[in-house]
Amino acid sequence: MAAGPRKIPVEERLFSLVLALLATEQGLTKAEILSTVTGYAHRYAAQADRANLERQFERDKEELRELGVPLETVDAPGADGDTKLQRYRIPRSRYQLPDDIVFSPEEYAMLTLAAQVWREGSLSTDSRRALTKLQSLGVRIDDAVIGFAPSIRTRDAAHEPLTAAIDRGQQVTFPYLKPGQAAAEHRTVSPLALVFHEGRWHLHAFDDGVDARRTFLLRRIVGPVVLAGSPATVRPSADEPARVLDELAALWRSTVATVRVRPGSEAEVVMRNRPGTEEAAEGLQVHATDLDILADELAAFGADVQVVAPAELRDAVRARWERVVQTHG
Amino acid sequence: MADRPAPPKAQDKLAFLLALVPYLIDQVWVTVDEAAAHFRTSPDEMRKAVMLIAMSGTPGADGTYTHETLFDIDWDDFDERDIIRFRAAPMEDKPRFSSREAAALLAGLQRVAALPEFAARVDIVELMAKLARGATGAPAPFAVRAGELAAIQATLAEAVSAGRRVRIDYVSTRGERQVREVDPMSFEGVDDAWYLRGWCLTRDAERTFLLDRMASAELLGPAQAHETEAAGDELFAGTSTDERVTLRLPAAALPLIADYRGPDDPVRFAGDQAIVTLRIAHPGILGRIAARLAGAVEIVEPASARTAVADWARAALAAHVGA
Repeated sequence: MAAGPRKIPVEERLFSLVLALLATEQGLTKAEILSTVTGYAHRYAAQADRANLERQFERDKEELRELGVPLETVDAPGADGDTKLQRYRIPRSRYQLPDDIVFSPEEYAMLTLAAQVWREGSLSTDSRRALTKLQSLGVRIDDAVIGFAPSIRTRDAAHEPLTAAIDRGQQVTFPYLKPGQAAAEHRTVSPLALVFHEGRWHLHAFDDGVDARRTFLLRRIVGPVVLAGSPATVRPSADEPARVLDELAALWRSTVATVRVRPGSEAEVVMRNRPGTEEAAEGLQVHATDLDILADELAAFGADVQVVAPAELRDAVRARWERVVQTHG
Repeated sequence: MADRPAPPKAQDKLAFLLALVPYLIDQVWVTVDEAAAHFRTSPDEMRKAVMLIAMSGTPGADGTYTHETLFDIDWDDFDERDIIRFRAAPMEDKPRFSSREAAALLAGLQRVAALPEFAARVDIVELMAKLARGATGAPAPFAVRAGELAAIQATLAEAVSAGRRVRIDYVSTRGERQVREVDPMSFEGVDDAWYLRGWCLTRDAERTFLLDRMASAELLGPAQAHETEAAGDELFAGTSTDERVTLRLPAAALPLIADYRGPDDPVRFAGDQAIVTLRIAHPGILGRIAARLAGAVEIVEPASARTAVADWARAALAAHVGA
């Protein structure tokens, strides 16, 4: 099987590598792997190809780790870091889904729906693979029980590089166009968490330029996210995403604007449909996380909307209209 | 080429193989068609994967592959009866999720947790804990807050699943408010917006309606089926009769007007500025774009559009003074 001219597909080489490393207790050295495992072995004999083969193996290890395969490197006793003597293995206990993890058909249907939430981008790749792995459990469900999934786009180009930077603990830079401003500014941050709140993706990060935590809107990152080349100065805690979400939610509850809308107008319908909107004598009580973003939304309704309070929002909305007049008058 | 990194497709295929093995071993005996249906793939792809597995194994103690260390399939059953039955397997473990896979599902779960059809039947907290335990590492840092479900949303979801006509009080992007009757086709949520697509009996055409713009919705009698062609989008897409308006804005801000741009709307670049021509259905949309990106976007031509948008902003300011 190891010899012959047959071209071995990548997935077959990776599959054979997983099988070989799962089967070994004490681990295999790199030389043992390259000389015996299907996909490497037939090229091992050619000395000239050896360096390529080793680089291939390095990349394959990364591919497996990305897929959640717990590939371990074990140093030989007394030879720490000697890559020739290092052994590789996949411990069964860490590879295998614990036996007590089983899903009822309802849970399985819900997970299927959860995977469908991601309709594009890196999260859809991840959830597609997760679904494939779920199928190994052989749970049978009737397609009819799966209803509609509300989906979330991750079309913001910044999503993927930010996820990768958080994974690797790296600082990033990007141009950020603040709401209500005309020009983007460059930010250097240590990214901590990505949260989806009020229909938008937010990045929570430690802003190394101002030495404080800040939350950014992904849609307003208007250029490429680039690794800054240094490790993040702050690392996320385990509860970071949940905590950030709670903070945003608390901010949303406590930030209330009073607006008057023209009866029957689009502004009235849209503002009444916002979650949390209540009627009061002075006008509609509207909740928001960020007054600058609310100002953008309100300014778009023109004469159909009037801000009663807070004064800060009132000024922000007026400033937008004044700028439109200046630009076009 | 030895030096190329494995394409993501290879990772997908590997995930499939790693999931397929324990499934096949658990099933003991399964037809190609049944296995293909379970993994939502074609019988041909399933046969190919089974062949690959059947030829795989682990190198034995002496570094060679032998019968003892290979998967052992019943070839007669497979070749003649399209039945998959493995007699021996060097591996039958179900794979854990990667931390990112678990995170994607967890974040998706937070989003669907509010759906009424599951809320009562699934303990979401327990399910999330199970998922996190099933991952190789700590799940990646995502979190998602589900939007609140509005009453109109429940009405529309029922209309689609039960095939009922709905009457909606709707305000269009042109600012026109009308009561419309719609035979629903689909109801879909994207980000925090929900869209109802259906046959509009008032317009006698297929239309898409945004939930945010509905003042109310009520269920009527049974819906009828309609022959439909390409869907007319009543959200922001322009039509051939619309006015063409040219805008200038920083190239970096282009993504912020993505919702208003049609696929054929031309754009050219001058330094760090982008000059875009959009088809605009009514002047209110111009005001909306100009005010949302106030200072960053300028309407270049026609002159009438510049005047219209300046007047629109002056009117808003005047009304505000009176408030």
